[in-house]
Amino acid sequence: MAELNFDGDGFLTNPEVWNDEVALQIAQADGIEMTDKHWAVVRVIRNNFNEKGNAPMIRTICKETGLKLKDIYELFPLGPARGACRVAGLPKPDGCV
Amino acid sequence: MEKLTTEQIDKALHLLKMRPDSKLETHLNACVHCGLCAESCMYYKTLHDDRYMPARKVELVAALYRKYCTLIGRVAPFLVNARPLDEQMAEEMTDALFGACTMCGRCVKHCSIGVDIAYVVHFGRRMLAAMGLVPATLQATVDAALQTGNNMAIPTADFVDTIQWMEEDLQDECGSEARIPLNETDKNILYTLNPREPKFFPLSIAALAKIFFAAKESWTISTDMYDVTNYGLFSGNNEHAKSIAKRLHDEVFNKHCKILVLGECGHGSRANRWEGPNYLQHSYEFETITAVELINTYIREGRIKLDKSLNQELVTLHDPCNLVRNGGLESELRYTISQSVTHFKEMTPHGIDNFCCGGGGGQLAMSEYNERRIAIGKIKADQIRNTGAKVVVTPCHNCVDQLIQLNNIYKLNVKIKTIAEIVADALVLE
Repeated sequence: MAELNFDGDGFLTNPEVWNDEVALQIAQADGIEMTDKHWAVVRVIRNNFNEKGNAPMIRTICKETGLKLKDIYELFPLGPARGACRVAGLPKPDGCV
Repeated sequence: MEKLTTEQIDKALHLLKMRPDSKLETHLNACVHCGLCAESCMYYKTLHDDRYMPARKVELVAALYRKYCTLIGRVAPFLVNARPLDEQMAEEMTDALFGACTMCGRCVKHCSIGVDIAYVVHFGRRMLAAMGLVPATLQATVDAALQTGNNMAIPTADFVDTIQWMEEDLQDECGSEARIPLNETDKNILYTLNPREPKFFPLSIAALAKIFFAAKESWTISTDMYDVTNYGLFSGNNEHAKSIAKRLHDEVFNKHCKILVLGECGHGSRANRWEGPNYLQHSYEFETITAVELINTYIREGRIKLDKSLNQELVTLHDPCNLVRNGGLESELRYTISQSVTHFKEMTPHGIDNFCCGGGGGQLAMSEYNERRIAIGKIKADQIRNTGAKVVVTPCHNCVDQLIQLNNIYKLNVKIKTIAEIVADALVLE
């Protein structure tokens, strides 16, 4: 496995090395057991990142996974940014997150 | 760190020598080294490192002042601890002023002679900003705001899509007359948001829209400029802060609105309401108020009806530093809570003596100092746990994000809500 580099917040700084194993590793550190729903959220985020270079809106995540807002907050208690985007191997988004 | 160039040093010293700043000079000369500030500071209390005593942070800037602005500092620096601006100094300043201060101002209230320590820290950050030494993650948030109009670089189409989604949810609950009006003109209120709301946590937008609907308010949100934040306040680059503040100021005119209402954001409220006129060098021609004050007024004037029995869980309140200690909204917040929830318990201490969440001053954006931010947050986590509350209410999205993390890491098992959310939960629609 390629070397993983994390920033002080635990976000990957070399997102290109991300794969499912890395996702499992980050999720485990957060005490999350990855289910199909978790993976669905992670895939939407990752695809958006690959296509557009940033994190998707929570709107996009809900629309494409069919999950409700409440479900996503429950799946990733640290929230869409520090929870889901971090597991999906994105760099830290800017702003109050 | 890399060697400082003469140009960098000149830019920072220019600020120090630029013009007589009587407030700065007074506060740099006034510290009597009594040490009372130490125990007021979350960093010192948690890390027990002398470098993080508030007085030691002031001393960094004061040492430069003595070196470059006093005769004795120039001729006999060793007598008065005057220090040159070199790499060592810049490193110490970056670590202490960016990395170990939330600019919460609690030390100011505990200072025996009232030194405005947060003001001096901000001045130190200005010197670092002049040298281009703002931590990269904090600068990235400022740059996003300058380049795209919002600090998370949300494209307009995505923003509109999210607002329409929230409007549909609102209409399911309240009927088709409930709306989230975009880009309308000649309304009473121009409302603003923290970009993290549309990006990741949009329920607070729907909650506020529900309150506006109940109050029969005339309002709008501009898709061109809705961002209430201004990280220029924290980076120390006043030119950046000015251009971000000006954009929001001008948008009130573009949309012909009467009142600028600042969404639930502590530093954004401060940057626009209290610092904005200083950045722009003129008073605002329209009324500027916070969402906290607006909701408070709706309740007092009977424009919205609340049934506090709808909120039965024990609630506590986290006072955002910029709205309460530095903004004076302590009683407004408590009145609103008293009308919205059945059971309430204060944290100890609270109000103007409250502890910061630990994420203020730009800390939440700065990954460089994440470990410290979480460590000092334990003080806030313990405060929350000691209340036994199930819900923590706070009118600041930055605090909300820090509290979400503290909730997770320190296993507090609480829900975190904004003022709009707790009030919307108690709303009785007629």
